[in-house]
Amino acid sequence: MSYSTTDQTKHISIFRTLPVHLLIFACLIILWEMTNLYGFEDQIQADMIAPRPTNIVLAMLDIFIIDQTVWKHLISTFKKALLGASIGTAIGMGLAISATLSVTFRKYIKPWIILMEATPRIAVGPIFVALLGFGLWAAVALAALVAFFGPFVNTFQGLMEIDEEAEEMFRSLGASKFQTFWKLRFASAMELISAGWKLATASAFGGALVAEFIQASEGMGVLISQYVIMITMDYAFAALLSVTLFGFILFKIMDYVDYRLIFWKNDLLLLRESEKRRKKAGIVQ
Amino acid sequence: MKLLSFLISFAKYSLSFIFVLGLWEVYARYGGLNELFLPRPSKIGDKLYNLFFKFQIIEQGTIYWHFFATLAQMSIGFCYGIVIGNSLAVLAAFNETFRRYIAPYAVVFNVTPGIAVLPLIIAWFGFGWESKIALATLVCFFPPFINTLTGLLKKNDEAIELFQTIGATQSQYFWKQQLPNALPEIFAGLKLAITTALLGTIVAQFGSATEGVGILMQRFAFRLDMAGSFASLVTMAIMGLLVFTIAELLDRRIVFWRDTKGLERVSKKKQRKLSTDG
Amino acid sequence: MAATAKKKPKQSPSGQTVIEGNSVTKVFGETVTALEGADFNIRSGEFISLVGPSGCGKSTLLRLVAGLIEKTSGDLTVNDEEVTKPRTDIGMMFQKAVLLDWRTAIENVLLPSEIQHRITQDDKQKAMASLDLVGLKGFEFHFPKQLSGGMQQRVALARLIQTGANIMLMDEPFGALDEFTRERLNVELMRIVGELKATTLFVTHNIQEAIYLADRVLVMTPRPGRIAKIIDVNFERPRDISIQTSREFNIIVEEVRDTLGSH
Ligand SMILES: Nc1ncnc2c1ncn2[C@@H]1O[C@H](COP(=O)(O)OP(=O)(O)O)[C@@H](O)[C@H]1O
Ligand SMILES: [Mg+2]
Repeated sequence: MSYSTTDQTKHISIFRTLPVHLLIFACLIILWEMTNLYGFEDQIQADMIAPRPTNIVLAMLDIFIIDQTVWKHLISTFKKALLGASIGTAIGMGLAISATLSVTFRKYIKPWIILMEATPRIAVGPIFVALLGFGLWAAVALAALVAFFGPFVNTFQGLMEIDEEAEEMFRSLGASKFQTFWKLRFASAMELISAGWKLATASAFGGALVAEFIQASEGMGVLISQYVIMITMDYAFAALLSVTLFGFILFKIMDYVDYRLIFWKNDLLLLRESEKRRKKAGIVQ
Repeated sequence: MKLLSFLISFAKYSLSFIFVLGLWEVYARYGGLNELFLPRPSKIGDKLYNLFFKFQIIEQGTIYWHFFATLAQMSIGFCYGIVIGNSLAVLAAFNETFRRYIAPYAVVFNVTPGIAVLPLIIAWFGFGWESKIALATLVCFFPPFINTLTGLLKKNDEAIELFQTIGATQSQYFWKQQLPNALPEIFAGLKLAITTALLGTIVAQFGSATEGVGILMQRFAFRLDMAGSFASLVTMAIMGLLVFTIAELLDRRIVFWRDTKGLERVSKKKQRKLSTDG
Repeated sequence: MAATAKKKPKQSPSGQTVIEGNSVTKVFGETVTALEGADFNIRSGEFISLVGPSGCGKSTLLRLVAGLIEKTSGDLTVNDEEVTKPRTDIGMMFQKAVLLDWRTAIENVLLPSEIQHRITQDDKQKAMASLDLVGLKGFEFHFPKQLSGGMQQRVALARLIQTGANIMLMDEPFGALDEFTRERLNVELMRIVGELKATTLFVTHNIQEAIYLADRVLVMTPRPGRIAKIIDVNFERPRDISIQTSREFNIIVEEVRDTLGSH
């Protein structure tokens, strides 16, 4: 008898899984296409609820290559989200670092942080739009506001989780507070901090899009709304899909940066890095 | 003793809030605060008083109605979300094919902020409650899914062997070991889900609605009634705190083994029960 | 060298007093007396083992000497100076190697130098030499994750050597390692400490290990933590591992047991 569930998923080579993935994907798409064609009483309703994948692909072609409408909006949304995420991260990490360094500061901001955590921050959207207008800054502000929390919590947690013995070792070496902070605490917290950046980016997209839905001159939120209002659902799906696609690429890049940055968690990278440092020191084995 | 220290920390927190509000008020009265941007606290307080105690009607009801509507929409969405998320997680935990080939779609689509689907949701579900519930469900199903899955798949070889040696069946293993073992993760997922559900509900209300705190906020902001906007914000903060506290309490009750206090409480209770039984 | 030292069992070493404690007491909070009225006198180049059951204040004594915590009362001096804060002539080693995962072995060893000043070529040379001394030649550019537990402790030892401290405080440094590795490391530790002529305070809860390594054994008993007895160990050095089965050795083991048992 075996309890299969707790067996970790076995590693199977990509060459064996990829065909199955493609097959399943193809089946899903075909099923979807069929649903659109034969699953509804009237075609308008069908296109409204499940626009045909072929039409979505055509719409993608149109907005990316033929008409090229999507680029402007895509760039606008990414700009807002990334700016917001950066600002939010800077604020969140700044607060977290101050909170770890000063007990007094920590005490004073605690109630505010609890309040900030519980309040649905995205709800401030209409206020920002009303005050800052339909342009870039309302969206950036909202993105930053929703984004700061992830980096704050992660940085704080990472910096507070100190290895007592390591800290004692640093003290016995006569390290200053500053040295202990950078060489030990910050470096040990790096993994969580980097996870915080990813959280910030994800939520910043949400913030930027909501600001655009409320009211904006451009951006993917605007584009999606427009397509829906015109009842061209295939275009709406195409726009949605481009957000997913580029979001996915962005996250893959962030994952990669994270993977390289926290190289000591990965045996292979460790091996390479070790060789690199040996060479750099001019020592050949 | 416990009460005293609680009161002291409560007083400290309140003082910190009062201090900041006081500064803000003074600055607004005597300094150059542009009240078109940031209304003074007393005006917000006045607005809140009107909303909560004078039963001022905005849109189609009193603030209590909007409050209730939002909570109700959120709760329904949350329930759908956790049912879907947890079912998918259990499916993925027990079926490797599903886990390998279907579950990744959930992960890929999670990259799109669920919120981006808002216009479509409104087109499909209309301006009523359904669209709010649908968006809440959509944005909140993922945390329970991924957390429950992680919890159920926690590596636990020794426990498996133990259960095998005492001749437990698969379902006994699931109920007595695997599920309790995953509870901390499951609850972490629920806590995330409940806050995202609230978020989804409010955002859906921005889209279009006749009731809900989101629409209050939207209307006040667009009339540039900043005192009203901030009053809605305070209302949402209260709602958030309420939801948050409930989630936290439930978590502590059920996953009692997370801290020593909880352990003591349950241990005492079981002891009492044993002695009354005997 | 061994030949000349033979037949001349080490009497109480003639070096100068380096660490001196007079009724050193440490109370945590209001009630936990971790160490009470400890009197001891450690001379230059001596190897002292601290042995006792867990919770008897061994680590507390070590931390006091290191200046990591403050004593409650009594006198404690190192090189005739009152201990108030960590000093550069004292180095420490812990049960965990506490290496920084993102640094290679040599970068970990260089940490003490880095904390004092900018790293020079000399420091690097010295670090290479320290690693060589602990038997890690060729592993300088390995990361901690790529080393076994025993090797990680060797890096920690090299880091301790790098500090240039001539007083070494070791808190169960090999406690987490398996028996075989521990035995090997003990032999090497004796060699290295002998070469460096360092004064060593070595905490362990293993009686054999304590006696095997030490010139004197401080036997500690708990509740409250006290130094119950100080026992001289007069085997000549270098010591062979086989002395552990000798009659003299076992007499000392018995003596330690009796001291611990009578409390
Ligand atoms: N930081 C501390 N705060 C309170 N009590 C402590 C602290 N450190 C040690 N103790 C207590 O002091 C006693 C001696 O501890 P320790 O020196 O670590 O013992 P040992 O190293 O011999 O096992 C123990 O009872 C321990 O609980
Ligand atoms: Mg100890």
